[in-house]
Amino acid sequence: MPGPIDYSKINIIPDQDTTEWWEGTKRHKLLVRQCKNCGHKWFPPFPACAKCTSMDLTWFETSGKGVLHSYVVVTQPILAAFVSAVPYVVGLVELDDCHEPDGSLTRVAGVMMDDEDAVAIGLPCQVVFEPTADPNFVMPRWKISGTAQNTWKFKE
Amino acid sequence: MGALTDKYCIVGVGETQFMKASHRTPLSMACEAVKKAMDDAGLTPREVDAITSFQIADSTDVTNVAQALGIRMNYGSVAFSGGSTTEALVAHSIGLIEGGYCNTVAIFRSMNGRTGRRMGGQAPGGVVPPSRAEGDAQFYMPWGFTTPAQHFAPSAMRYLRDFGASTRSFGEVAAAFRYHASLNPKALMRAPITIEDHQRSRWVAKPFRLLDCCLETDVASAFIVTSRERAFDLRQPPVFIMGGSARTYADNPAWNHSRPRTYIQAGNFARQRAWGMAGIRPDDIDVLSIYDAFTYTVILQLEAYGFCGIGEAAEFVKDGRLRIDHQLPTNLSGGHLSEGYAHGVALVNEVVRQLRHRADDACPGWAEGRHTYDRAAGCRQVRDARFGASLGWGTETRGSSLILRSISA
Ligand SMILES: [Zn+2]
Repeated sequence: MPGPIDYSKINIIPDQDTTEWWEGTKRHKLLVRQCKNCGHKWFPPFPACAKCTSMDLTWFETSGKGVLHSYVVVTQPILAAFVSAVPYVVGLVELDDCHEPDGSLTRVAGVMMDDEDAVAIGLPCQVVFEPTADPNFVMPRWKISGTAQNTWKFKE
Repeated sequence: MGALTDKYCIVGVGETQFMKASHRTPLSMACEAVKKAMDDAGLTPREVDAITSFQIADSTDVTNVAQALGIRMNYGSVAFSGGSTTEALVAHSIGLIEGGYCNTVAIFRSMNGRTGRRMGGQAPGGVVPPSRAEGDAQFYMPWGFTTPAQHFAPSAMRYLRDFGASTRSFGEVAAAFRYHASLNPKALMRAPITIEDHQRSRWVAKPFRLLDCCLETDVASAFIVTSRERAFDLRQPPVFIMGGSARTYADNPAWNHSRPRTYIQAGNFARQRAWGMAGIRPDDIDVLSIYDAFTYTVILQLEAYGFCGIGEAAEFVKDGRLRIDHQLPTNLSGGHLSEGYAHGVALVNEVVRQLRHRADDACPGWAEGRHTYDRAAGCRQVRDARFGASLGWGTETRGSSLILRSISA
């Protein structure tokens, strides 16, 4: 597991488009935006529907489950918050319940709970909510939750 | 061909030294680059009536550059955007001159990219102090996912998987450009490297190693665009603008992770327009610049602009194909990876110099267009270079292109 992340060194500034999303994480809900008119889902929470331009929107509570689409292994810390965390993996997780008939899909990035050795493209993932020192912010992270066939790992 | 093909030219190029620590203001460096581009063209400040630039992070305003150099502008503006803006500002300039808004435009980019504000938010000393995660950054900064290397890595990882490619192909790109830098007296990094050197360099953000990353650099570079009528009266052989594309975007551009295939670069959406406007094909290109923020961005753009098919570039770059005297001489200055990172402007300058037949190399007669073609003696001029292009990268989802020809083409 990567080292601790010092979230106190990141000052998150929610705005009118994103406040409810951050509120959701405090209740351990991984939300995506959904269009009330056509049902399209997306993330991050942009304020209009890219399929029908409706601005009449709601939130869809995802299962927090998905498949690892790709990842990066960060070995050199850039932000002060991550100095003790390296090496850590940022995963791009394709959400199971946001696939749409026309092929559109939704991926959400996040820091994996797992070390590089345990991570492979194609593995199932589950969101985990990590408390921070600030009660106003709970951070979604990803954790490998099972096995799969035809996975791929960067081995160089 | 486009309605304005060959009606506008690049007539002057200039830059400061490529430096690790300039100890100068971006304003001072911008003035030097624009002054040198004017001198190169044989233009006086009174003959330049527009300046445009672009910035994210470190920069200086065009207003101050104009005042310092005694240029009275009929147009002056700074675009808020990053890589691939260079070629887009050429398109802006053509439109402004064609519309009668101004006559001659200086385009520059000035940045203490190493000792001032670094791309991706790093502080000069390394790790950044507490940071504000607002706007888009709410959804990447708290996840330790902020720098260009980190942002482009998942696409690269997926590319390696989907096409069974190896990072040795990245090493081919790094070694080819370093070889070219060894022929460029201006370049920051001139000692040749091998693919093995690349493979041994330390990890930055897997699958990227140190030698996959461009050089953070303190530098300003500039070039000047004007009409062909004015160009013929100036000091240098004009280089004609045939066509291009200006900050073309893919779908879902702001947050590209939900695009089905993240490695489908913006050039895939731009290339038909660009080559159609120019009236030539990738096969015709003699000298090429590709925005090499990373070795991998070269791979993607070769595919996006049709030099090879999707998934084929890792094979295409093998056997020195991007090297001088081979099939597709690319980044002859050494590029961002080895000459220094000038946010795309210096990549255009190199193509212009090559198409003038005046690459500023070790040949004593380079300024008059006399080259030896002896690589061991430091000549980096491509023989008979007639058609060139500069491909600009912003991210997978945004990019530009500029297609040029020499006066002899
Ligand atoms: Zn809709």
